[in-house]
Amino acid sequence: MLRLKQFLTLLCLLVGTALFAQNRVITGKVLSGKDNSAISGASIIIKGSANSGTTTGTDGSFSLSVPGGATTISVSSIGFVLQDVNVQAGQNSVSVVLVEDTKQLGEVVVTALGITRQSKTLVYATQTIKPAQLTEVRDPNNVLNSLSGKIANAVVTQGSGGPGSGARIVLRGNRSIQGSNNALIVVDGVPITNDTYGTAGSDFGSVQGSDGASNINPDDIESVTVLRGASAAALYGSAAGNGVIVITTKKGTRDRVSVTVNSGVQFEQAYALPKVQNSYGQGNGGVFDRKSGESWGPKIDGHALDSNYLGNPDVYTSQPDNIKDFFRTGVSFNNSIGVAAGGDKVQTYLSYTNNNIQGIVPGNDLIRNTVNLRLSTQLNSKWSTDAKLTYMQQDIKNRPRTGEENAPTIDIYNIPRNVSLTNAKNYDFVNVLGVSTPTYWPSTLASIYQNPYWMIHRTGINESRDRLQGFVSLKYNITDWLNVTGRANLDRINTKLDQYYYQGTILWASQPGGYYSKTNIQTTQKWADLIFEGTNKLTDDLKLNYHAGAIFFDYLYEDNTGTANGLNVTNKFSLNFASNPELNQNSTEIQTQSLFGQASLSWKDKIFLDASLRNDWDSRLPKPYSYPYYSVGVSAIISDMVKLPENWSYLKANINYAEVGNGGQAQILTSKYTYSQGAGNGFLQRSSTLPIPGLKPEIVKNLEIGVESRFINNRIGFTATFYKSNSFNQLLLVPLPPASGYANQYINAGNIQNEGFEFVLNGTVIKNKDFNWDVTLNFALNRNKVISLSNDLKTVYLSGGYGRSGTPVVKEGGSYGDLLAYQWARDPKGNFLVTAAGKPLTTDILKEDQGLIGNFNPKETFGFTNIFNYKAFSLRILIDGRIGGTVISGTEMNLAFSGIPEATGQYRDGGWALGGVDTTGAAVGKTISAQDFWQTASGKRYGVGEFFAYDMTNFRIRELSISYDIPMKSNKIIKGARISAMARNVAWLYRGSSLLDIPGLGKRKMWFDPDMSLGNGNFQGVEYGTLPATRSWGFNLKLTF
Amino acid sequence: MKRSKLFFNTRLQLAFLCCIVVSFSCTKKYDDINTDKNSVATIGPAELPFLFSKAQSTATESQWNYQVAQNLFADQYAQYFGCTATYFPSDRLTIRMDWVGAAFNPIYTDVVPQLQSIFKASDPSSPEYAMAQTMWVLAFHKVTDYWGPIPYFQAGVPAVSVPYDAQDKIYDDFFAKLDSANTVLKAHAGENHFGNYDLFYGGDVNKWIKFTNSLRLRLAIRISKVNPDKAKTEAETAFAGGVMTASPDDDALVQRSTKGGDGNGLSIMSDWNEFRMSAAMESVLKGYSDPRMSVYFLPAVATGQFDGLRNGLTVKQLGDPANKADNLSHAGARWASPAAGGINDYLATPQQVMETAEVYFLRAEGSMLGWSLGGTPKDLYEAGITNSMKQWGISAAATTAYINSTATPVAPNDFLHSPALTNIPVKFDAANQVIQREQIATQKWLALYPDGIEAWADYRRGHYNKLYPVANSDNPDIPDPTTQWIRRIPFLLSEQQVNGPAVEAAGALLGGPDKVTTALWWDKN
Repeated sequence: MLRLKQFLTLLCLLVGTALFAQNRVITGKVLSGKDNSAISGASIIIKGSANSGTTTGTDGSFSLSVPGGATTISVSSIGFVLQDVNVQAGQNSVSVVLVEDTKQLGEVVVTALGITRQSKTLVYATQTIKPAQLTEVRDPNNVLNSLSGKIANAVVTQGSGGPGSGARIVLRGNRSIQGSNNALIVVDGVPITNDTYGTAGSDFGSVQGSDGASNINPDDIESVTVLRGASAAALYGSAAGNGVIVITTKKGTRDRVSVTVNSGVQFEQAYALPKVQNSYGQGNGGVFDRKSGESWGPKIDGHALDSNYLGNPDVYTSQPDNIKDFFRTGVSFNNSIGVAAGGDKVQTYLSYTNNNIQGIVPGNDLIRNTVNLRLSTQLNSKWSTDAKLTYMQQDIKNRPRTGEENAPTIDIYNIPRNVSLTNAKNYDFVNVLGVSTPTYWPSTLASIYQNPYWMIHRTGINESRDRLQGFVSLKYNITDWLNVTGRANLDRINTKLDQYYYQGTILWASQPGGYYSKTNIQTTQKWADLIFEGTNKLTDDLKLNYHAGAIFFDYLYEDNTGTANGLNVTNKFSLNFASNPELNQNSTEIQTQSLFGQASLSWKDKIFLDASLRNDWDSRLPKPYSYPYYSVGVSAIISDMVKLPENWSYLKANINYAEVGNGGQAQILTSKYTYSQGAGNGFLQRSSTLPIPGLKPEIVKNLEIGVESRFINNRIGFTATFYKSNSFNQLLLVPLPPASGYANQYINAGNIQNEGFEFVLNGTVIKNKDFNWDVTLNFALNRNKVISLSNDLKTVYLSGGYGRSGTPVVKEGGSYGDLLAYQWARDPKGNFLVTAAGKPLTTDILKEDQGLIGNFNPKETFGFTNIFNYKAFSLRILIDGRIGGTVISGTEMNLAFSGIPEATGQYRDGGWALGGVDTTGAAVGKTISAQDFWQTASGKRYGVGEFFAYDMTNFRIRELSISYDIPMKSNKIIKGARISAMARNVAWLYRGSSLLDIPGLGKRKMWFDPDMSLGNGNFQGVEYGTLPATRSWGFNLKLTF
Repeated sequence: MKRSKLFFNTRLQLAFLCCIVVSFSCTKKYDDINTDKNSVATIGPAELPFLFSKAQSTATESQWNYQVAQNLFADQYAQYFGCTATYFPSDRLTIRMDWVGAAFNPIYTDVVPQLQSIFKASDPSSPEYAMAQTMWVLAFHKVTDYWGPIPYFQAGVPAVSVPYDAQDKIYDDFFAKLDSANTVLKAHAGENHFGNYDLFYGGDVNKWIKFTNSLRLRLAIRISKVNPDKAKTEAETAFAGGVMTASPDDDALVQRSTKGGDGNGLSIMSDWNEFRMSAAMESVLKGYSDPRMSVYFLPAVATGQFDGLRNGLTVKQLGDPANKADNLSHAGARWASPAAGGINDYLATPQQVMETAEVYFLRAEGSMLGWSLGGTPKDLYEAGITNSMKQWGISAAATTAYINSTATPVAPNDFLHSPALTNIPVKFDAANQVIQREQIATQKWLALYPDGIEAWADYRRGHYNKLYPVANSDNPDIPDPTTQWIRRIPFLLSEQQVNGPAVEAAGALLGGPDKVTTALWWDKN
């Protein structure tokens, strides 16, 4: 009553004031459309007037001074659709019912198995990415690369194979040694096939193949939720121990027809190319040699040469751009059209997308067409269906090889510093038999490196892929509290690979006529599930929501390769011409069947208790194939239970524990003998791996504690999460003494721990009528510890053995990804050791083991997004970075031997005093030359990694986009038009330096982009012949009809 | 309400039942699902011959092992070839452990399981068993002659540690195995076993008898300094059992194929241009005007001359044009690609395992020791040369002229201006045993080409023929290569890592520090 009295008094006063200022005060209440509960902290502003607004109290009520005449107020609250309310002249109270905004993913998230949950009921942390952030600034190679900097505790590295390359995305650190550490990618509730058919497992290199994620069409994405922890993902079983990226695609809309046309063009250029010296050309020891590939020749002085390497007169000049100009500016076009329509009964979404992407290596193109049809029906109140069909066709031409062995990147990097691209383009001539034959090339290593133009014109790796993905699902509402959904899902990928190498291609065409191979890879994944979902109100305060069901999963991989190593008709690339045709066939099948149950109990919508249990029967395991795992967690909305200070709008705490099992690997329970061709009738060879009849599932145990809070009427909020996960029973392939008859064996052992902290901050710094500044900051740290491996084994080499430049390892007591390399030897006082001649004394010469020089993982990562909205303009800047981590540049090691990198340009004429000591500790006064130094540090393809190791720390402007919404009249055909300009990898803010501070030289700044990796497998921390990272910029037009 | 409850009970329970039934019943197919359809799961009689072929292919250094197991080590240390690649340190006596493992690991993983499967599945009195025994000795004598003590008696037993055994005990077992193989094979003389799966002799048991005894003779000579009495007995027994007498019929060569990476290991390196004729070869072949020179080597591309290089040149020395691959002699046409001036089928060139010529030189040396091996040193020496010439298709007239030649090796025209390797002629010295020994060893060295593994072992054992000191040693254990030489390969780093305690225990069996300078049991120089 007191309140009413006060209110009336106030009203009188206000009315008076209003009369005077032609203003009045209205009062009102804001309620949730879902359950008519009061919404606290909702914001109310008067349309068209700056700075006049208020917020609702805990009971949802507000009062506001408004102009006298008819006016409009805007009411908004997080999780609800903004609503404009007309207030008539004379009206002084208003009741506003806000509709829940299911699109606002902060409140409702898609969790495991496609189950939609209110975020506040979750007992674990999730993070959502707005799809616009993936389509505005595109990474032409793989949509996963666009997640860089946007997800807390995600490390995204991109495979180096140009457009369509597989990417690596690791959440909360590495945990698996033999298996994948990649997050599971889930589309519309079902994990997709995300294999990569080829990836570098050593610095030797490979062809980086496509993964499954690179086929995802960003234009069809409706939402992305990241489930970082095992708890969130437990219902997926197996691969979910690495976290999950849940992608939901677009559906049809009810009672509305909308057409979206998106058109973009993007330009991509190589950056972070090797820094090279431009003062010394071909030769050795300062003496010119026109046939030499080494750049240890005399100073480049522009004098006339009688003959260059081709035998033509030339001028001895430097070619500062002969690496840069080899790469082209790739131009990509993305065009898509999406039609969404529907009525009450049927909704459809149909889209077509065409991506036409040029890589930076000449001739490397990707063309992709994607058609996507989604059909949802509500037959009646009981029955509804949903179905989707996505067909994708993708052609990749001339995918470049990567790594150190005769691949275009390493070939062009090795070009002598005085050889022009004009000359280099004379890569072949036609011999008397009419056959294209390599022109003499001044190679640094004639048995390994070739003219890069030969490699791009006379060899090719072409990939053609068809992918069909689809599901049908049927839902039946058994009662109003129980429904059942059955779903069948198919994901089939057919990949055809054609590889050809002209006769004369070093390393790859070893037999007369040339080399050709044709590979067909087919993966088929079937997934079927039946899930019951129920909600019961047990008492007024106690509600129960539960899911129970069964999942059938079958994965079949088949490949067959026909190889013609040697062609009877030279350079005719068909198996018909094979002089020694060879066939090879492989297949693997995995089947799991699972039962699961999940229940969530909520008390007064304030405390939530969540538990799940799943049992898998996995074909990879020995009888009885079965293993269970579970999760349990609790969360509490503290802000609903205790009175918090004003401006503290929301506080939630949660804790959970989960275990996730993984069936291991197929076909390792028994020995097998494989056949290979050879002399006589060919051979049978026993697998060199000792089988493991007692294979156990791997188990990841995960504990997570989190807090979520929001302030100042939800204007600023954060989530903070601490987690600890331990991976047990790792399936390890460990070496055996070969004398045992086996090179290695599988064991189940180990305990690898990741613990860390994640912090995500969202806030609106400035909020005005015309100007908004929103920020999102994520920061994470992860600490990995290899607590144990096994009794017999203390170190596992992630590359399978000593690398040429460095070796990533998992070592007991260390961290996953510790990097070993040969080093510059020091005495106990830390002085560098040198030989009597003054050259560095390195640990490989001393026959010592490779030493620990770092770890390839970052210690901390962050991403900082700023969005500025001014009227119809929007500017978004993403700055991200990583702190810590070490990488070895095999590229620089390779080039240093040949006098190419910038640093090798100093001390050419000797006089370099390293100032080190000999093994007795006595100072050595000798001076050396650059060639002495670098050819000690590098043996070309084998070297002392420490000299070429860099701190991976870097901060950069990752993405920048500016867009403008062109004002459209709502009655026109075009309802919305948005034009934007974007750039990616815009600028470095900071880059790390080399580990060694070499006397007389100092530290060198990292010249390459450590995000580019040789491959997307577990072999990381070594950059070697990797494609250069790219900087891209472009324009986009989006029209809505 | 009642209806819906009923509905719930029946339908729902049925559905749950379905799930459970689906989940349990279908695991029946799991073992089948988890089986690799593209490989063989169990070994029966039909599979054994394929295993034998594999053992033969691998025991003789297969295509991808040849370079790192043999060419970069034994071939250089026997001074057949010098290394022209700047990035390979082994010619300067730095051992790359990760490469030389190719001479060790494949024997255990791709020969031992194969032969043990045959031992397990066949009767000890069968020729298949006996042929596998001979293969076993062939494979393992190469391994022990690189390292000394090696895992032997427990080889092929799955374990986290496999002990090393002393070389003398291993040799005892070699002789025992060859003896029993000979006995069994003799009982099956004239038969054919393994047929065309036998890549040496097409299954001809008679030839296997000769091969078995010839191998026994090789090993007997190997221990002639360390255990002369046993050496004599073994050699005479071997000879009595019947050894190789006629090239090319008796020669053991392993077939190679262009299919499946089973090519000749020397040929596959043809276009890599990383090794060339050694100065030692040049000195002798040129000095003797040896008709085999143009078989063994090709004239240098740039000069049209036969030229070699000294072993152990520094990176800087290799940078000199004189030491570039184009200015030096490539291995002969049969090991050279058409692009390098070789033959079309160069990858399928059969690879030497043991030749008749070697057997005559073994007998020549044995008879100098007073053993009864059916001839005088001179006759056997000349028969050795004759058979080697036959093997390489040299005419009888040229052979006769060669045998009677008094020409001596010349100074090779190399970068370091080296002197002639030695001063002995081909013509067998009438009286001087020192010269005779050197002549036998030198001709054996020439005949064994390009089998560097046997040539290096033979050089270390006898030190009868001459080789140049390595021009530069980067190995701190050999500061002066004119007075020291490489005698063995140190225990593998990978073995120290995965078989550590066994390697440590092996130190005691070695009889010296684990260095390249420590002599093997049979090395008494």
